Amino acid sequence: MKRELAWLDRVIFAFAAFFFIAPLIAAAEYSVRGYGNKGHTFANYSWIIHQLGFSAALWTSLRISIITILIVLVLVVPTVVYVHLGGHRYRRLLEIVCLLPIVIPVVSLAIGAQVAMPKNLQSTSYELCFFYVVVALPYVYRSLDIGLQSVALSTLVEASQSLGADWFKTLTMVIIPAIRSSTTGALFITFALSLGEYTLAVLLHFHTFPTWATNISQENIYGSIAISVTTLGGAWILLIFVAFLPRIKSLFARKERVA
Amino acid sequence: MEIHGSTVEFRNVKRTFGTVKALNDFSLTIKPGELVTLLGPSGCGKTTALRILAGIDKDHEGVVEIDGKDMSAVPANKRNIGMVFQAYSLFPNMTATENVAYGLRVRGVDSHKREARARELLELVGLNTQGDRRPTQLSGGQQQRVALARALAIEPSVLLLDEPLSALDAQVRAQLREEIRRIQSTIGISTLFVTHDQEEAMAISDRVGVMNKGVLEQIDEPGKLYNKPKTSFVAGFVGLTNYIPAVMETKSSVIVLNQVVDISDHSVDAKKGEEVRALVRPEELQVEKASEGAVVITKSFLGPITRLGIDAGTPELIYAEVTSKEAKKFDTGDNVKISIHSDSVMVEYA
Repeated sequence: MKRELAWLDRVIFAFAAFFFIAPLIAAAEYSVRGYGNKGHTFANYSWIIHQLGFSAALWTSLRISIITILIVLVLVVPTVVYVHLGGHRYRRLLEIVCLLPIVIPVVSLAIGAQVAMPKNLQSTSYELCFFYVVVALPYVYRSLDIGLQSVALSTLVEASQSLGADWFKTLTMVIIPAIRSSTTGALFITFALSLGEYTLAVLLHFHTFPTWATNISQENIYGSIAISVTTLGGAWILLIFVAFLPRIKSLFARKERVA
Repeated sequence: MEIHGSTVEFRNVKRTFGTVKALNDFSLTIKPGELVTLLGPSGCGKTTALRILAGIDKDHEGVVEIDGKDMSAVPANKRNIGMVFQAYSLFPNMTATENVAYGLRVRGVDSHKREARARELLELVGLNTQGDRRPTQLSGGQQQRVALARALAIEPSVLLLDEPLSALDAQVRAQLREEIRRIQSTIGISTLFVTHDQEEAMAISDRVGVMNKGVLEQIDEPGKLYNKPKTSFVAGFVGLTNYIPAVMETKSSVIVLNQVVDISDHSVDAKKGEEVRALVRPEELQVEKASEGAVVITKSFLGPITRLGIDAGTPELIYAEVTSKEAKKFDTGDNVKISIHSDSVMVEYA
């Protein structure tokens, strides 16, 4: 029975892997095709960086993504931890609030919420950060919620405090590292979403990387696929780096001790 | 390593959860270097007392002092109290060494000093070769040893042990409790230990406090608690006790099992002729072979002693303990005569 299940696991895994990887491979192959399907070339990639506004748009999107991640870290992570620790009565409410962005159309968010933004933030690209936090909430909340449910949170907090740590140290040195994979997942989703979000940026007339890429891709269909592949690849490299950073650090620390 | 033991004092501490009184006028003093255990059934308030001392539970009335200093306004992270929890509480993202060094890290001690200290503590708990392991790579007993080392690393003024052995198997539990006692007396730290396991409490404590429904019924040395219980709850909770129907002979003696026996202090103030219950330990009963009378119903081998369950016409079986060598004389179904060989017994209203 166990062996049968193991086989089934492998089949499902292979199917899922094919489902995700096949389009990526196809896109990567398409992005290196020469004009008129003549051979393969990296010209489409060099074409991207030579386009006007590439670095400015990329820098704007990166800046927005990083700030969005910081807001999620400072605002959402402690809030979800709080409802898990002592604010159980708010948990259902928070869950509903965090799920709302799924059912609220982005257009209403763009028009309605923009009015509510502080005057000095309106018409600066930084206001997008706050919208992206809202849009990422359902995924961020779910990821953190699962992570926090998997650890004995209250015991860890009590242990940390009895050893002299304040709330900030407990959060940064114990809780977030203890749910590292969930936090990384949440931050990756936020980063990918902020870097690739198009609708809000267009509706609010901001020039981000996705809006720039859309405009530019009308001139070169192979180039547009190269842009998508680059963006996705960049996000994946970053995720792998973030996920393995603590292990690399501890490996170095161990080597130092041995030396 | 030696720690200056502190004096801990609870004075008239009260704590309620809704309508339930978890602690009711709870007072206790722990002397420097003493290991005091709070023993009692689930929900008796023992863990609440410990959490109040740790500063984790702050919604209470009354005074809690450490070395004469009122702790009411001192947050948990400033109390300098080491705590070992019932659940495995090691930080999963850290190795054993990092866990032990954590308290020093948050205090800003430099990395070389804290690593040396962590090594010293891991050696004290016998885990000096396991420092690089993560909690998931350690057994339950090893995790609790690391937790103990972590609690001691900060040189706390008081050590709190919240049922730290309850999740472990019997052999590891017995071994670790001895080790806790050895370490505690070596370094001389004042310790409050909470457990529902009376054997554990009696084995390692200087004094044991028995709690019931938020009240500290009695606190005494283990031997005194066992031999001179002040309440029937304590007599019933600590060790096995037979509740045998009896009749008051005079104000100071009782007829039990057709035998006149003096009654001990803390007994109820019953009148002559009144029906009462005598509280008799199994080892206070003597069993002899007889041709008629009580009948041996059960016989349980417990190593050096054997426990006999005897039907003497009382509502419940009477348990008597004899040496296993002597027990060879008795089989189930045998008639026996039981008598009390104790100077006095405690009685309570029937």
